[in-house]
Amino acid sequence: MSWGPGFFYYQCSACGKKFKYAQDMIPEFGADFGKCPVCGTMGTYIKDGPRGTDDADYYEVED
Amino acid sequence: MAKKKTIITVAPTGAWPKKENNPNVPMTPTEIADEVYACWKAGAAVAHLHMRDDQGNGTMDTKKFEETVGLIRERYPDCDIVLNLTTSGDIHADDDLRVAHVEKLKPEMASYDCGSMNWLNTSLFINSPAFLERCGKLFQELNVKPEIEAFDPGMIANAAYYLKKGILVAPLHFQFCMGCANGIPGSMKNLVFMKETMEQLCPGSTWSTFGVGHCAMEMLYGAVALGGHIRVGMEDNVMYAKGQLAESNVQFVERAARVIREYGNDVATPDEAREILSLKK
Repeated sequence: MSWGPGFFYYQCSACGKKFKYAQDMIPEFGADFGKCPVCGTMGTYIKDGPRGTDDADYYEVED
Repeated sequence: MAKKKTIITVAPTGAWPKKENNPNVPMTPTEIADEVYACWKAGAAVAHLHMRDDQGNGTMDTKKFEETVGLIRERYPDCDIVLNLTTSGDIHADDDLRVAHVEKLKPEMASYDCGSMNWLNTSLFINSPAFLERCGKLFQELNVKPEIEAFDPGMIANAAYYLKKGILVAPLHFQFCMGCANGIPGSMKNLVFMKETMEQLCPGSTWSTFGVGHCAMEMLYGAVALGGHIRVGMEDNVMYAKGQLAESNVQFVERAARVIREYGNDVATPDEAREILSLKK
């Protein structure tokens, strides 16, 4: 049984960008996990969990 | 020299995605049966099946399994796909209900989640020692091959314990579940580690893998390159690619078949899968 990936959802307080990081990317990103992919500001945590109906509103940061 | 055969398992439904996540997820017995048939035609040799209740929630209702398996057999008598039924389709189901459909339908394979974990940081996914011993003995009695789902290396060590105890019988077959929240992160380094751990603790085993989300393609290519087998489908990924909802499970199976063939392997037929997995049809 799998439930797909779990994400941390954020919004940037500086530029407003909504984005998400897959939970299993914590080791990959280290201290950068949660940073805005546009301006580098640490995002404001919104929620975490599996993909919801608003998932497409959040850009997935992968690299 | 004969080409190596790679098994494609399709997991079309799972316990969580609903129509609002992807309108193409098959939910009813009819939808699941039709999808399994289409995936078989596209190259899937094994179908890992979950059921949904009438509200679309994961269920272990024996009647839903009976109806779906019945539809596959009645509507599609030419379909010789290996059926692998979940024992973990509803985290609230008790141990009796989790195996009732296996006792009744005696599928060729059933899932065996080899340890407990916190599930998505919200709930408990319990696979108690008593349940694992019961499943191991029952599967031996009914000649059902356990598909050992390992979400982290500790679950492989747990399988080695049950192998030594005679609860599981070699050769084992593992499904490495990569990138699930609270499980081992999905990376090539970790896939190699899972494989090497398995080879050390349970030599002679076969393995398959899937990656959820961003690591799906990495695990697909990794499985083929490292000599394993692959699972695809909407249980693990509702997105076909970044920002692109999957149109069907067939889409995933067709891509896996392309990768396998382009690598130089053959896509295993169900009977070839039976031979690789030591199933007794």
